[in-house]
Amino acid sequence: MNTANPEFNPATGDQRSPGAARVGIGGPVGSGKTRMVEQLIPRFLARGTNLAVITNDLVTKEDAERVRRSGLIDPARVLAVETGACPHTAIREDPTMNIQAADELDAKYEGLELILIESGGDNLASTFSLDLVDYWMFVIDVAGGDDIPRKRGLGILTSDLLVINKADLAPYVNVDLERMIREAVAVREGRPVLVTNCATGEGVDAVVDTLARAVLFDR
Amino acid sequence: MLRLENIVGAATDPAISHRLHHLEHRGRVEYITLSPEDTRRRRLRAMTDCGTECAVVLDRSAQLYNGAVLMLDAERAVVVRMRETLWLDLAPRDAAAALELGYFAGNMHWSVRFEDEVLRIALSGPEQDYLDRLSPLLADGRVRRIDERD
Repeated sequence: MNTANPEFNPATGDQRSPGAARVGIGGPVGSGKTRMVEQLIPRFLARGTNLAVITNDLVTKEDAERVRRSGLIDPARVLAVETGACPHTAIREDPTMNIQAADELDAKYEGLELILIESGGDNLASTFSLDLVDYWMFVIDVAGGDDIPRKRGLGILTSDLLVINKADLAPYVNVDLERMIREAVAVREGRPVLVTNCATGEGVDAVVDTLARAVLFDR
Repeated sequence: MLRLENIVGAATDPAISHRLHHLEHRGRVEYITLSPEDTRRRRLRAMTDCGTECAVVLDRSAQLYNGAVLMLDAERAVVVRMRETLWLDLAPRDAAAALELGYFAGNMHWSVRFEDEVLRIALSGPEQDYLDRLSPLLADGRVRRIDERD
C-alpha cells in the first residue's frame, strides 16, 4: 500500500494537487482587513508564493475593485463575492459561494498555493467555517476601543490568529494598547495575538510568517 | 516534517487494523490528537505523540475522523485520534423557557443536540464561557443544568 504520496498516479506520472491553502480574514467594519490584504500581497509575492484573493462585500464589488486597481496583483486573480446579506452567512452558515470561487481559482491557476479570503465587515461574533478555510485571522483595531478583547466575541476567542491593527492610533483615541494586548492574550488562552499598523506595514511581516508556518508549512 | 496527503483508510478496517496491530507491537504507530473542530480542517500542522511534526494536506473532498489512518507502511503508521466532545446539558423549566433557550443557543451559533427535554450544547471552548452567557437563564431557574448525577 503506497501511502507516501497517494495523489501520485503511477500510470500517468501525474500528481494531483490538493489545491491552495485557504486563509480567512475577518473582523469588524473599518478594522483594516482590505489594507491587510494589500500589505500581505507584496510580501507573499516576494516570497514566491503563488497567490490569489477573494473579497466579500454586501452588495458591491468595492473591495475587489480596490485590490484589482492596486497594481499589486494580476486583477484576474482577484474574485469578488457579493453576499447580498449578512456577510457572516457567506463565510460560516453557507460558504458555498466562497468555496465555488476558491475552487474556480484553484482550477484556473496551476500550482496556486494560497488564497486569501477577505470577509465583508461584520461584528465580533463573526467566524469562518472550517469547510471554507484552513486557517483564519480576525482583525480588530484600537480605534474600536480597548475593551473589545474583554467582550470575548466569538471572533476574538476562536480565530486562529488575532490581529490588533492601527496600533499607531492608540494615543489619539485614549487606548491603553499594552492592556488591550494583555487582555487579548488572556482571553485567547495561548492562541497568537499580533499587533500591526497596516497603513505603514509595521508588524505585517510577523503575520506573513505566522500564516506561512501554519498553512504553507514554512519553518 | 512529514507530509501526509491522504486518508489511507480507517483503523477499524480489518486489513488495516491487522497491520496496525503488528506495528503497535513494535511501537511504530504514532497518533495525532485533534479536537472535533480541528478535524474539519483540510490543511494543518500537527505533532504526533512521538514528536514527529506533520503537515496534513488533504484534498478538499476529504474529511478527517477518529481513527483516520494518514500513513501506513512497513515501518510506521500515523493515526488520528479525535478528542471527545464535551457537552453542557440543559433542561428548560417550561415551553416558554425552551423557546428562549433555543433562540439564545441559535443566536450564539452553538452546536446543539436535542435529547427528549434536554438541550445538549457541544462545547468548543471553556465551559465557564457558556455558563457566563447563560447566567440570566440559569439564575432565575428558567433553565437548569443537568449533570450525570441527575
